[in-house]
Amino acid sequence: MKDRYDHENLYWIPILILFVFLLPVFLKGVSFSYKYYLFVLNLAGIYIILNVGLDLLSGFTGLVSLGHAAFLAVGAYTSAIMVDQLGVPFSLSLILSPIIVGLFGFIIGFPALRISGMYLGLTTMGFGFIVKRIIISFREWTQGSAGLEVSSPILFGYTIKSDWDNYYLIYTFVIIAIIIGRRIANSKIGRSLMAIRDSEQAAEASGINLSQYKMLAFFISGIYAGLAGVLFAHTSSFISTDHFDILLSIYFIIMVLVGGASSIYGAVLGTLFIVLLDNLFVPLIEDQIQLLFNTQAGDIQSLIFGLIMFLFIIFQPMGLYGMWLKMRIYWKLFPFNPRQRFT
Amino acid sequence: MNKIIGVLIVIGLFGSGCVKRAPSPGITDSEILIGNVQDLSGPMKELGAIIPNGSNMYFKYINDQGGVNGRNIKMLIEDHQYNPQKAVAATKKLIEKDQVFCMFQVIGTSPCEAIRPILAETGTPLIAPATNSGTMSDLTKQAGDLIFHTDTGYDRQAEILVDYIMGKNSDAKIGLVYQDDDYGQNVLLGISRVESKYGITVQKESYQRGAVDFKGQTMNLLKGGLTDVIIAGIVREPVVIMKTAEAMNFKPNFYGTGPTIDARVGKMAGSAGEGFTATYWAYMWNSDEAGPKLYRELCEKYDIPQPYIGLYHYYGFATAMLLVEGLKRAGKNPTRNSLVKGLESFDNWESDTFPPITYSRNDHAGVDKVKLVQMQNGEQVVISDWLE
Repeated sequence: MKDRYDHENLYWIPILILFVFLLPVFLKGVSFSYKYYLFVLNLAGIYIILNVGLDLLSGFTGLVSLGHAAFLAVGAYTSAIMVDQLGVPFSLSLILSPIIVGLFGFIIGFPALRISGMYLGLTTMGFGFIVKRIIISFREWTQGSAGLEVSSPILFGYTIKSDWDNYYLIYTFVIIAIIIGRRIANSKIGRSLMAIRDSEQAAEASGINLSQYKMLAFFISGIYAGLAGVLFAHTSSFISTDHFDILLSIYFIIMVLVGGASSIYGAVLGTLFIVLLDNLFVPLIEDQIQLLFNTQAGDIQSLIFGLIMFLFIIFQPMGLYGMWLKMRIYWKLFPFNPRQRFT
Repeated sequence: MNKIIGVLIVIGLFGSGCVKRAPSPGITDSEILIGNVQDLSGPMKELGAIIPNGSNMYFKYINDQGGVNGRNIKMLIEDHQYNPQKAVAATKKLIEKDQVFCMFQVIGTSPCEAIRPILAETGTPLIAPATNSGTMSDLTKQAGDLIFHTDTGYDRQAEILVDYIMGKNSDAKIGLVYQDDDYGQNVLLGISRVESKYGITVQKESYQRGAVDFKGQTMNLLKGGLTDVIIAGIVREPVVIMKTAEAMNFKPNFYGTGPTIDARVGKMAGSAGEGFTATYWAYMWNSDEAGPKLYRELCEKYDIPQPYIGLYHYYGFATAMLLVEGLKRAGKNPTRNSLVKGLESFDNWESDTFPPITYSRNDHAGVDKVKLVQMQNGEQVVISDWLE
């Protein structure tokens, strides 16, 4: 019997994993600023984990979420409290916290049974405000809006403290998250989620239990966000309510859209593109403006992000991954490709 | 054997003395590079543009005189949009990529709290964080030994205000409107201390950062029959609260903590803002002391645009003076460690911009007193000497 992954060329995956694990060594060799680049990659790694989950929810199932920064916050605070105040080992928190956030997702999934589209987006956004209020109210545990110092992760008796160590911790989970995400997307669950997105009536007529799968999508997405939250809290050393505002949730949606919704690789590409753009190229442009005009660039980031969103939605709605697929097909058919297909 | 010993001696010489010592990050023969993370596009963007401009004006003045020990000061500015995560990324960039010597004037309490781990990891000092929060001078916190605060803490300001009110009227009924965040929490800390001291209960009303409507809070204050109200806000909040109170015919004495010192508060509030009293921890920019006089001269000399000139621009100038003095005391070949030691040698250092500042190994608090500034006929008038 033919395996469902037989149609994919998977030989490049070990090479990619090797590249990911050798990248810090390469960066250290070529740049004295390698710690900064590792920091940026670490942030991208955490967001990749979250966005793979968000893509399963919004891209595959079509359930809009503007509350993923709040899911991230719940994961971060849950782990910080469990490890630093209740004495739970970090390794156990890596399992428990994502499950707890998954259950939160499950609860938030209830409204999704009755509402959709913009209304669901607003409901999840409301969840973000509620989470913020809860964090501020439980001051004894969370230190309120003053923020909470978080310990470094300890795994097998080894304290993970530097950006270098954090990189290997985060990217181990990034690889696991992508593999599991791909498996889910290609499984019966993934196909059911896509069927719900395309037509709820048709999906129901095909015997798909809408409530069950929608709740499951929120649960899985919550687990991903919870894992990202755990890694975020313990590698950042400090968390506060200001970290997880509504803009961050919008930022996540932009990453998924730019990468190409309904594609796990798209979520990865979009996250890398936006995080690297935000932390490497925007400061470069701002520095040049400061140098040339002796003035601060101010809100140039919003301008660039707005422009990118605009250009992608108009000219490339399938995102970066869609661009890659088009390029691949183009070269496969070359020189017999019909012009109108690729313009 | 002798050949081997000879080679080892040569290697040893190169390894010890002959090789030039690596300079400190951000220090070259002609330049000292410092990093600043401001809010250039977030909720405090107005201050983010003005404060570093005041600092750059003073750096230009020093550079025109030959710099500090022959080195010009150059300041790189990044934007954090009042987001701690962006503050961390920006600080990381400045320290690891741009290799700045020290951090200066990072604005906001939570951004400053968020960057503590990076400061501690790299041993980079942070001079004059632009927040009044008393937590900045807490030496028990991470990187506490690397942070040198200048401003009187919000908690101390709240205490001084209640002391002042109770000194005027021992039967005063006091209310507090505070921002429900780290700023407000620090104010509440001071309030709880004076509540115990005087055996009083201060009526507390909170609001969310960014709030524009204060009818509920003002109505509650009115119901409480208060004689004096302290507003721990920034600019918009005291203006709206005082105007709302005026519309309700509720006329207590209004006071404000540090950020409300902005002259726009009284002007925008109009008749409702008459008598509004705010705390301030430095000399007023338009006063006759030597520091403010130099400030006004430099504004004229360097053609500073009129909208910039004022309290916050002056604050940037005053904190730059402190940093320059620290750099001078750090020696001809400054290191991050010698900068810390240089600052810790401040013993009643008189700049005529702040009141005398003393730092030591056990005290990085800077100023711990305030003057009271009151709106009288649309102008800000200093009504007290230094209150401690």
